[in-house]
Amino acid sequence: MVLSQIGLQRRYSEKFVEILLFLSAITSIIVMLLIFYYLIHESMKAFATIGIFNLLFGQKWHPAGDIYGLLPLIVVALVVTVLALIFNIIIGVPLAIFLAELAGPRSRAVLKPSIELLAGVPSIVYGFLGIIFLVPYLQERFYMLTGRSILAGSILLGLMFIPYITTICEDALRAVPSEFKEGSLALGANRWQTIRYVTIPAASSGITAAIILNVGSIIGETMAVLLVVGNVARIPSPIINVFTQGATFTSVIAGEMGEVAQGSLHYHVLFAVGFVLLIFVTVLNVIADLAKTKIRRKFGGY
Amino acid sequence: MKKKPLSLAAIISSIFICISSMACILIQPDMSNIIPLWQIAIIIMVASIFFSALLYRNVPNNRIPWLAIDIAFELSMFVFIYIFQLNPDFIIQKPFGLSASFDIGIIMPMLLLATGIIGFKDSINILYHFSAKAQEIMVFSAIKLTAILALLALGGILFIIIYEGIWAINWEFLTTPHRRLGQSGGISTVIVGTFWMVLGAMIVSSPLGVGAAIFLNEYSKNARLNRILTIAISSLNGVPSVVFGLFGLAFLVTHFGVSLLSGSIILGLINIPTIILTNQEALKAVPNSLREGSMALGASKWQTIRRVVLPSAMPGILTGLIMGVAKASGETAPIMWIAVTFTATPVQMIHGIIPNIFQPVNNLDYHLLNLIYFLGAWDVWTKAWGTALVLIALVLGTNMLAVLVRNHYRKKISW
Repeated sequence: MVLSQIGLQRRYSEKFVEILLFLSAITSIIVMLLIFYYLIHESMKAFATIGIFNLLFGQKWHPAGDIYGLLPLIVVALVVTVLALIFNIIIGVPLAIFLAELAGPRSRAVLKPSIELLAGVPSIVYGFLGIIFLVPYLQERFYMLTGRSILAGSILLGLMFIPYITTICEDALRAVPSEFKEGSLALGANRWQTIRYVTIPAASSGITAAIILNVGSIIGETMAVLLVVGNVARIPSPIINVFTQGATFTSVIAGEMGEVAQGSLHYHVLFAVGFVLLIFVTVLNVIADLAKTKIRRKFGGY
Repeated sequence: MKKKPLSLAAIISSIFICISSMACILIQPDMSNIIPLWQIAIIIMVASIFFSALLYRNVPNNRIPWLAIDIAFELSMFVFIYIFQLNPDFIIQKPFGLSASFDIGIIMPMLLLATGIIGFKDSINILYHFSAKAQEIMVFSAIKLTAILALLALGGILFIIIYEGIWAINWEFLTTPHRRLGQSGGISTVIVGTFWMVLGAMIVSSPLGVGAAIFLNEYSKNARLNRILTIAISSLNGVPSVVFGLFGLAFLVTHFGVSLLSGSIILGLINIPTIILTNQEALKAVPNSLREGSMALGASKWQTIRRVVLPSAMPGILTGLIMGVAKASGETAPIMWIAVTFTATPVQMIHGIIPNIFQPVNNLDYHLLNLIYFLGAWDVWTKAWGTALVLIALVLGTNMLAVLVRNHYRKKISW
């Protein structure tokens, strides 16, 4: 009798703990839904007043005259992201290959944690350094009106996210089973041929996932861009003119949200900008996630 | 082996050209002293490539035209340098409608860099008879060069912050509040405000993050639920911080106002995915035999988790929590509108221990942002560097602590 009562009590407390844990697990889903709900809710008015098409593809962003079109932001955000990604890959992937394949165990033991540490440097600090070193340098070097430009933003973002792409690519490269590499070396290929024709193709899904994730981070990065990109929302003319000022989604939100009256059309439009950004980044994340699952299915353990 | 010195001379001169031109791009010195050196280096490089190709007789027939083009390019560079020397004011004004102009200071080092790279390629190719080995050496040296440059840049960032910021740090800076828009005084209220906000964020995120990780790893059997949870966590991880700021503005500020509480909740939510992902790793590393042993002794599931799994996974869980602290201290965008103020505001204490959570506070990141805005207008230069150093020390210090905890226990625990 007593024993069964203890058993019952125990079963209830077990169940209680499980429910608590379940609730904390679904917090992420709830938060994600809440974010979507509030962003849609607040941006509804902007879409209703201006019209979805006019808002997304309007060519002018002119808050003083209540004219809002996201095309300048979209174009500049894409240019910044592509350029930053180029800098990022050109430097980050060779660094990953160096760490995974060329560095000795001792230098790796020092370099890998230091690079992971650098991933934690707050973006505001990168913005600060960009303002102090990068912007004046570009301004003098290229005789620009102001150094705050799309190019400055891209260089800064490209540098900032090197630690991220390097750590993920390095993990992907090291996850390739050593049998693959040994087989290639045994056939007489040298180390570079092995890396190029065996290791990189086998790790390509991991590298792709790293790059997609980085696109999401670059496009969503705020403080560094806000400080160096210039915050003038217009389409650069010609479109490859990266030496002029621009404004991205994040820099517009961060730069203008502090000054708008709550409930004004501008306020709602800024939420709409945030909503477009959120959709974009979420889609990228889901794609990266699918890519990762695909690797696991393709290669088994890694 | 006798023919080696020729190739060696070509390699050394090409490396000299590469490194000096790169340095010229970065630090823009007066180039008049280096130009003769570059001319000599190009002559040496071209001559040794040409004669080593003649002596070795190992250039495959299909490569001969390419080699000729390379040598012609290098010689034309020699002529270019001579012409540039005569017109030092040469400048391309805003080509193609770009809003930038390119003067000799950027054009010449760029062209020279290309020359140096081409020369290096040819000399290595000739030395190694155009084999796969030559390709390997070229690629590996490029990779090593990139790696060294990247590490120098990243290390330089830390160095410059410590070097410039150390002069601002003293006892007064750390213990007095700022005055006159941050021009004088220190950052004491800023540090205290950051401390409480990060503590609040950890109070929000640790139970939720650890609980979710335990549920995902130990309880959840439903594959579809797991999949949805994983996707939700990774999307939450990718939500841009500025969007969290908007979310907080719409969701929390309407209820709690601009307050410590709103900031802590938002930072806590940002932290959840980081904590879940690191904790899952830690839980996965606990071998199943431990769980089975405990279950076999009659322990219930929760008892097993609490007494066996959690203690073994503790170092990993701690690492995850410490990384969460670092992440929460480095965020600016999400709290800009919902939790902070620039005016020096000490955190009021209720009963001496509980902070007033409905007041706005100061924050390191936001303070630095404001100082950056004031840079041109007021004399806040040293204070800004000092703030940046304190921020970096806080974030990197906590991150380093996480790495140390991980490494310490990794050596100690063996299954």
